[in-house]
Amino acid sequence: MGGGRAGAHCRSTRRLRRAAQATVEFALVVPLFLACLLAAVDAGLWAVQTSAEVAAVESAVQLAASAGSTPTAQTAPDARAITAAVAGRLRGALFGTGIAGWCDAGGNGSCLPDAQQRCPATPADVQAKEGPRMVVVCVSEQDPPACVTPPGGASPYPPGCEDSPLITVRVIGFVASLVPPGFGAGAGAFEIATDISATTHTLRFAP
Amino acid sequence: MRRRRRRGDDAQAVLETALVIPILLLLVCNFIGLMVQVTVQQQLDTATALAAESRFQAPEAAVDPDGTRCCGAHGFAALDTSGLPTGCRYAAETFYGTMTTYTGMLVWQTAPLCTSGGDSGGGGAPARPATVYPGSPENADISCDLGSIGPGGQVIPGFVDRALHPPAGLEVVTCEATTRIDFSRTPLGWGVFWSPTVHARSEALPPPFRQ
Repeated sequence: MGGGRAGAHCRSTRRLRRAAQATVEFALVVPLFLACLLAAVDAGLWAVQTSAEVAAVESAVQLAASAGSTPTAQTAPDARAITAAVAGRLRGALFGTGIAGWCDAGGNGSCLPDAQQRCPATPADVQAKEGPRMVVVCVSEQDPPACVTPPGGASPYPPGCEDSPLITVRVIGFVASLVPPGFGAGAGAFEIATDISATTHTLRFAP
Repeated sequence: MRRRRRRGDDAQAVLETALVIPILLLLVCNFIGLMVQVTVQQQLDTATALAAESRFQAPEAAVDPDGTRCCGAHGFAALDTSGLPTGCRYAAETFYGTMTTYTGMLVWQTAPLCTSGGDSGGGGAPARPATVYPGSPENADISCDLGSIGPGGQVIPGFVDRALHPPAGLEVVTCEATTRIDFSRTPLGWGVFWSPTVHARSEALPPPFRQ
């Protein structure tokens, strides 16, 4: 009789222990499983966002490389015009992320022309100026050096002085993601760094 | 006997967890790797397409004077383009200026920067490989087949694509680049053991208003 009671007690303790073990296993595996699931979803999301950015900078740089307002214009459309042109394409993919045109302000507070515009060096620079989960579209123009009389030859000097300007469009900043705080270089909470650019020479017609 | 069974159950649970966790992490790593490959492919497509188009931003007869060098940023080698069509340097500058991300994990297949005279073949004409411009750098990460005007005024043909306007074909600019993604240079190397090769080839037609 006593042995039977002891056996029942033993069985219920074993059942309890198994249930506890299952709970502990569940508590260990579920966060890990969720982390893996989130990582996979986030990787897909990141690929979609990056893909949209690559497509946007490609069309933006083609736009910027074309003449400004007239066929003989010597200046590229500024960053705000380019941003407006590609924002729709970006907005569709960068959900939860703000989009702005980068404005490197001069002494009088207005945006500098593209030839003097300096794009942010890192996504952290964008975050410092615009806040979290923001990307900016930055258009910069690199003009060739002025041609001078060559030191003894007939060819234009220095090399490349007759080139058309080189134009670069960058989409840089932090996009919204499921990455938890503390992951990613310089990232705050739920964002991931992005820096996509495209460069081409401008197309200019002689006046 | 019962104690041994209990210990066996515990060991089985530990073994299951020890098997499942690495498999789960491997799956995630490889999925991320696949996403990286898709992104690199798209960026490479964009870079080669813009490079091919940018050939037409340079005057057709322009040739780089002695001492002209290009590129060399983002860890790429500088290229000497003296004596080559300016459009070829434009293509290289565009390519290297666009391919600025993921460079740390890419292993490039180098090729001559400027070639001319390739033919796709078809419609009775045989396919013909391109020939390298004299003096073209051989260690470029992009190779463009493009036409130009030589110093004596002779026309150097670009790539003839006979699929575009058969059987005579149309002369186009083609640019191609090939790279291998080396995941072992990234933390993903822990679980991604493949190294995909990504290739992009783009063609650009001259705009009708080109002088």
